[in-house]
Amino acid sequence: MSASLDARPVAIRPALAAATLNSQRRTTLAFLVAGFSALLIGALIGPLQALNYAGLNLYPYLQPVLRTYYTGLTVHGVLNGYVFPFFVLSGLLVCLSGRELGLAPNMTLWRGGFAIMATGTVMLLLAMFDNSSSVLWTFYPPLEGSPLFYLGMTLLGLGSVAPLPVLHDLRRRWKRGRPAASITPLVTYMGLITMWMWALSAVGVMSELLFQLDPWSLGLTRTVDPIIARTLFWLTGHPIVYFWLMPAYVSWYGLLSRQAGGKLVSDPMARLTFVLLMVFSLPVGSHHQFQDPGFSAVWRGILVALTMSVALPSLITAFTIGLSLEFAGRLRGGRGWFGWFTALPWRDPSVAGQVLAAVSFILGGATGIVNGSWLLDNLVHNTTFLPGHFHLTVGTVVAMTFMSVTFWLIPELTGRRLLSRRLALAAMWLWFVGMSVFATGMVWAGLYGVPRRAWVSALPHSAYTALYGAAHAPMVLVAAGGVLLWAATLCFYAVFFGTILAGRRGQAREPVPFAEALGSNGPPSALARALEHVGLLVLLSLLVMVAAYLPILWSFLGRVTEARGWVVW
Amino acid sequence: MSASHDESAFERAFHHAAERHERVWIFIVLVMLVLLGIGTMFYVVFDYGVITHDTVFHRDPTAVEREPAFRDGRLARTGPNDYAAYVVGRVWSWSPGVIHVPQGARVTFHVTSTDVLHGFQVQGTTVNVTAVPSIVGAVSYVFDRAGTY
Repeated sequence: MSASLDARPVAIRPALAAATLNSQRRTTLAFLVAGFSALLIGALIGPLQALNYAGLNLYPYLQPVLRTYYTGLTVHGVLNGYVFPFFVLSGLLVCLSGRELGLAPNMTLWRGGFAIMATGTVMLLLAMFDNSSSVLWTFYPPLEGSPLFYLGMTLLGLGSVAPLPVLHDLRRRWKRGRPAASITPLVTYMGLITMWMWALSAVGVMSELLFQLDPWSLGLTRTVDPIIARTLFWLTGHPIVYFWLMPAYVSWYGLLSRQAGGKLVSDPMARLTFVLLMVFSLPVGSHHQFQDPGFSAVWRGILVALTMSVALPSLITAFTIGLSLEFAGRLRGGRGWFGWFTALPWRDPSVAGQVLAAVSFILGGATGIVNGSWLLDNLVHNTTFLPGHFHLTVGTVVAMTFMSVTFWLIPELTGRRLLSRRLALAAMWLWFVGMSVFATGMVWAGLYGVPRRAWVSALPHSAYTALYGAAHAPMVLVAAGGVLLWAATLCFYAVFFGTILAGRRGQAREPVPFAEALGSNGPPSALARALEHVGLLVLLSLLVMVAAYLPILWSFLGRVTEARGWVVW
Repeated sequence: MSASHDESAFERAFHHAAERHERVWIFIVLVMLVLLGIGTMFYVVFDYGVITHDTVFHRDPTAVEREPAFRDGRLARTGPNDYAAYVVGRVWSWSPGVIHVPQGARVTFHVTSTDVLHGFQVQGTTVNVTAVPSIVGAVSYVFDRAGTY
């Protein structure tokens, strides 16, 4: 049986019975529906915040569903930033790895993660919509929400690491009976590194919740230390952006080149990118605290250097994905400098969405380097520049990639045809244009010093004009982008739910489009073999993280402050 | 695996070029990031005053209310052209609200909060401090241009 020796079996093993496959499909679909339902609520609220910046205060008309701007902003952040990506990637990574290896994942563990996260989500929704916990998605103490909020967040975080043991179990079973030197297939490898990165970094926010916020909100402790909480939060809060991004990279590296009609130009570079993201993202979280008191200047300088290093894997990705797309475009007959780009299968919404997402990442990455540059950051910190930046990254790159994946995955899972290819394309273009317009406005307004997280539309008109009149043009862009995003959201969900409920049945299912790498028929590269030592790499990352945070937290632990809770909404 | 049969001459050539360009790209990226890092650090050293420093820790966030400088939102003259401003963030307000200094003055802002976290920023300058309850952070800035910030 020579197939078992191949690094990447092309077909699903017949041994994987149809019944188990179908139960995997149902579970994956449940993850997707839960995640995208959260995004639906969050995305519908988002444009209200955009209109707020243009001076339009719609909140008085939304009583009693959304009490204030801050209630809406909390729901928007928590659902779009935590619930949506956690559910989608937990479904996606396990489903793809199982298919790639031709093995059934441990369903109990996988579904257990779903159940824990779903319980947490319900608790969070209750706590947010009753306006008891308008603490925003960063929930910085001493703002004090209800215990339901913190306990719900704890469960959501706990459930989100469930894919890690599932993927490890898959890899172990795949390795059994294979030569010791065999290389883990690419998609599984990327999924595993993603989950390890998350499991290590989640230690920060989970400690904050379990040791500080849960006991405090339950009344077991009277006070809380805000700076320790904030430091623990950002220990996780920066790596979490890679937890959003890496599953999108899984699709770009692992699938997109085949969808576009070509091959991945470099398999080892994909592995290297993921490992670099894991190692570099863990120690840099406190660059979100450049402006905080209590950090030594030397330490901040080290953080700048580390933060710049985190750009390296993303720039490698830009190269490898760009080149893979060029390869596909040239195979499809594209010529000249830009001919390969126009020759890509733009009629396929799944490809078009991911390519547009990749294009928007250029600006997203550039604004990210501005934020990482300390003094430039002093100009833009806490202004709308910041949300402008992360709507280009998580709001465009990640959201559009996840949406694009559903355009092929939902038909594969349900055996139904995509409701409308044109509507799906419209959703992707509207999202791309809407988010670009919105983010341009936010970044530009931020340069005028317009603060983020401010209910500016509730100010009297004269005060609004006096404070933010200079930034009127960019704030109109913000609102216009928001309205376009509403249209994009409607188009996308018409396709998403339309396909699940009313897509034409009896469609022959296309196989999962796993990409083949150039040179994959040769022996594995030395780099890929070195990176196969996942355990050592994880240990290295852990050491880097501890080395980065021990000095910071140690200095704070010696000077504890006791702040009581505040409810300010 | 059928890859070995249908690997065309074009594919082989593309793969070869890709590996070479990949090395060049990584080199360019590393140089670029090092330059960006050096540039950033240069400006940090060049304009060192805006780094949050001189931290004072209190156990109790309301301790600063008992310090006259913070309680009254004082602006103290500390040298011929040097001033110290004592700023407290409270929910929906800053104390003091407006600070008048002569053009060219070097102002050191001592910033703290008595309730929740606040972001203290002087629009149009690099002054940006997180006001953390019970921790006092300080930054300095020279106001060379006349105007309202």
